Amino acid sequence: MGEVKKIRTVCRSCHGGCGVIAHVKDGKVIKVEGDPESPISHGTMCSKGLAITQLAYHPDRVLYPMKKSDNGWERISWDEALDTLAEKFKQVTKENGAESIVVGQGTGRDYESHLYRFANLLGTPNVLTAGHMCYVSRVGATLITCGNLPVCDYEGEPKCIVMWACNPQWTNPDEYKGEGFWRAYIKGSKLIVIDPRKGFLAKKADLWLQLRPGTDAALAMGFFNVIVEEDLYDREFVDNYVNGWDAFVRRVREYPLEQVEEITWVKQDLIRKAARMYATTKPACINWGVPTEQTLNCTDCTRILTGLMAATGNLDAPGGNVFFVPPPTRTVSEFARHKDLPPEQRAKRLGGDQYKLASRVALITPKVAWDAILTGKPYPLKAGLLCGTNPVTTRANAKEAYDALKKLEFLAVIDFFLTPTAELADIFLPAGTWLEQNHVADNWKRHGYVLARQKAVEIGECWQDHKVFLELGKRMGQDWWDTVEDALDYILEPSGLTWEEFKGKGYLKGDQVYYKYREKGFSTPTGKVELHSTILEKWGYDPLPKYTEMPESPISRPDLLDRYPYILNAGLRTPTFFHSANRMIPWLREIRPDPIVEIHPETAKKHGIKEGQWVYIESPRGRVKQRAKLNDGIDPRVIVAEHGWWFPEIKDPGHGWDISNINILTDNSHESMDPVMGATNLRVLLCNILPCEDEQEGTRWERFL
Amino acid sequence: MGKVSLVFFKEDCIGCHACEVACKQEHELDVGPRFIKVLERAPLYIPIYCHHCAKPPCKDACPVEAISRNEQGIVLIDEDLCIGCKACAEACPFGAMQFDDDKEVAVKCDLCIERLKNNEQPACSKACPTRCIHWGDMKKISKEIEGSLLQG
Ligand code: SF4
Ligand code: SF4
Ligand code: SF4
Repeated sequence: MGEVKKIRTVCRSCHGGCGVIAHVKDGKVIKVEGDPESPISHGTMCSKGLAITQLAYHPDRVLYPMKKSDNGWERISWDEALDTLAEKFKQVTKENGAESIVVGQGTGRDYESHLYRFANLLGTPNVLTAGHMCYVSRVGATLITCGNLPVCDYEGEPKCIVMWACNPQWTNPDEYKGEGFWRAYIKGSKLIVIDPRKGFLAKKADLWLQLRPGTDAALAMGFFNVIVEEDLYDREFVDNYVNGWDAFVRRVREYPLEQVEEITWVKQDLIRKAARMYATTKPACINWGVPTEQTLNCTDCTRILTGLMAATGNLDAPGGNVFFVPPPTRTVSEFARHKDLPPEQRAKRLGGDQYKLASRVALITPKVAWDAILTGKPYPLKAGLLCGTNPVTTRANAKEAYDALKKLEFLAVIDFFLTPTAELADIFLPAGTWLEQNHVADNWKRHGYVLARQKAVEIGECWQDHKVFLELGKRMGQDWWDTVEDALDYILEPSGLTWEEFKGKGYLKGDQVYYKYREKGFSTPTGKVELHSTILEKWGYDPLPKYTEMPESPISRPDLLDRYPYILNAGLRTPTFFHSANRMIPWLREIRPDPIVEIHPETAKKHGIKEGQWVYIESPRGRVKQRAKLNDGIDPRVIVAEHGWWFPEIKDPGHGWDISNINILTDNSHESMDPVMGATNLRVLLCNILPCEDEQEGTRWERFL
Repeated sequence: MGKVSLVFFKEDCIGCHACEVACKQEHELDVGPRFIKVLERAPLYIPIYCHHCAKPPCKDACPVEAISRNEQGIVLIDEDLCIGCKACAEACPFGAMQFDDDKEVAVKCDLCIERLKNNEQPACSKACPTRCIHWGDMKKISKEIEGSLLQG
C-alpha cells in the first residue's frame, strides 16, 4: 500500500476556480479537500467539487474512444477515432467548405482557447456555445458599452451589494465564488436582492425586490429614473465619460415609476428606496446573474445595468464594478487566433448578419445551426464536433435541437458519459475530468487570476480536452505544439514562467489598478461609456437601451391565459448539479433525486396538487413532468422549474431526455430572441400545471437503485 | 482537550449541502446513511445533525449499551455491539441517528474523531462556505456565534 500523495490543483466541476488538495494513493484519487491557501475559495468547496471521485470513477464513465456500428457502440483506438474525424472534416472542407462543420461547447472545461483555435485554423466561423444567453452575451454587451466586463470588486470591500438575479453561493458563479461575496457581506455591507423567489439572500437582504420574471431591464430603468430625478448621479463622471447622456435621460423618462411598477410588480416606494440605497452608499457593486441575459432584453438589460454602475461613479472604482487587470499571460483570444479566421469565412457565419453582437464575439445562436441542418438554409451543416455539451437538454426548444443533431450527417462528441446528446454521435471521445488535466486555469475569466490546475491522475484512455484538439489539429495540418504542456509554456511565456515553475506557485494575480479610464479613457469608439451606442447605431439597431415585453407573456398574449395562466421560469439552478451534469452521481442524486417544480401553495390548492406529487407542466410547445414543491416565497402567478434533467439510470439511448426536460417547453423562434445577440428566452413563457394521476409515489431514482 | 461539540448556526445556512458530501467522503459512506441532512424550506435551511447530547437519549435507549459518550463528549456507537434494533433512532430527538442497511447497524456522526486527533477541523465545517458549522468547546463556539450575530 502506497503513501498518500497530496496534489494541489483547482476544481472545475462548475466554472471552476476553487483550490483543491487531491489525495492520491496507489494512483487513485481517494479524497479531495479545499485548499486553505486558495485566493478564490479559502479552503471551502461545494458539493459538486467534493463529489468528483464519484464522477471520475463512476462505473458508467466511458474510458476509451468508441464508434457506432450496426451492433451499437464499439471500442476503437485513439488513432482510428482521430483519423476518422480528420478524414471526415477534410472531406467536408473540400466538398462543402469549412463553414459546413459546426464546433460546439457547453460551459467549457477551460478548453475554450483550444476549441476556438481548432475552429479558427480549420476555417469555420460556426462555433456553437452557451454564450448566446450566458455570460458571453454579458461580455459582448459590456465590450461595446464600456470596453470590458465590469466585475464586483469584493476584495475592495463594497458597502452596498446588489445581488441582481444571482445566487452565487448556490451555483455556477463566473468570476468569483459565493465565498468572496460572503466575506464582503459579513464585513457589514448592505444588501439589495432582486429575485422572483425568496431564497437565503432575500431573507438576509435589507431590501428584497420580488419582480416579475424577465422584467429586469424595466426595473433597472426604474432605478435610473429615481437616480436622474433625485440627482443622485455622479455629475463629473457623466459629463466627462458618458456618451449620449442627454439622449439616454430622455429614454429613462419614458419609464416613470408607476409604469415600472406595473411592468415589474415591484412597488414604487421599494424601487425608490433601493435606487437611493445603491446610488448613495459608496462604494457599491452589482453582481449580475444569467436571468438578466436569458430574455430578448439580454443586451439592453446588460447595457442599462452597466449604465447604473457608470452613472453612480462605481465603474472601475475600488469596491465597485471593476475591470480586473489580468496577470501577464497570453489571452484566450490570442491563443485562439481569432484574427486568423479569414474574412471571407467570417462573412459566412450563420446568423451573422442578423445577430451582429453574437458574431462580434465569435459565436452563433443554436437556432441558426438547427435551421441550417434541418432546412439546408442558407447552406447545410454537414458535420459537427461537440465538446462537453448536452444541447438536447440545455438549449431552448429541445425537440428541435434533438431532431437537428439526429439528422446531422456526422457527429463526434467529447464527454465523460453517453449523454442523450452523445448517444446521437458517430464517434465518442472520452474526456478527462479536472483531476486529469494540466492547465493554466481560469485564463478566460475577468477576475485577475490564473490558477495552476495540475493533473493528479490519469484514468483509462481518457484525454484532457486540450489534448484532443491539439492531436486532432495536428492531423488536420494545423499549427500546434508537441504536447499540452508545451502549449501551456506558450500561454505563460509573458509571465516569464514555465508550466513547471507555475505549478509550484499555484496562481498568479494581476497588479490591480483602478480608475484606468482617467488615463486611457474607455475602449469604445468614443472613449466613453456608450449609453448611446455608436456601434449598435452603425449596425442598424436602436442605439439606446429599452425594455421590451416578452412575446409570450400575460401582457402580450392575453389570449393564451385561459389555457396557460402561469408564467414559467424555466431554469432554477441547484447547488448539486451543473446544468445537465451530475445526475449519475450517487451522493448528489441522493440529495436531489427528482426534478423539482416550485409552486405557490395557493396555486397548488387550486389544482389539487400536494407537496411531492408529480405534476405535468404544459406550454404551447409540449408537456413534461416534475415533482411539486410548495413554496410561498414565489408569486402565485409564477412557476419555477429546474432545468437540465435527464435520467442516466434509464438505459435506452434517449435516457429519458424528454420526460422532465424543461426545454421541451421553451421557445427559440427568432421573435423570442434578443435581436442583437440571439439570446434565447428561458425566463418568461406561459404554462399550465396539472397533477399526474398515473404516477406512483416515490422518487424515480429509487426505482433504479 | 476539553469537551467538544458541534453546532450549526442555521441562520447562516444556505442549503448548499457541501457539508453533507464532505461528510460522506470523509466516512466513505454510500447512499443511505446521512450524518448530516440539510432540509430545504426556502428561505430557511435546516441542518439535521448529531448534537452529541450531554445526556444522550439514544444511549439510554440502547438495550445492549452499544452507545457511549467519551471523555471529550463525543457520542459514539460500537458497531460490533449494535444489534440493529433501531431503538436509538426512535429515541433521538433530532433525527440524527442513521442506519446502515448493508451492515444492519446504527451509524452516526463521530465528530470526525480521526481528524480531531490530527488537529484538523471536522470535514463538514471545513467545507462550509458561510462558516456556519462551529465545533470545539462551548466557549469557542459561543464566541464564534456571537460574532456571527453581530455581523448578520
Ligand atoms: S464552486 Fe465550482 S469550483 Fe468550487 S468546488 Fe464547487 S464546482 Fe468546484
Ligand atoms: S463532524 Fe464529521 S462526522 Fe459529524 S457530521 Fe460533520 S463531517 Fe460528518
Ligand atoms: S455547508 Fe454550511 S451552508 Fe452549506 S448546507 Fe452545510 S451548513 Fe448549510
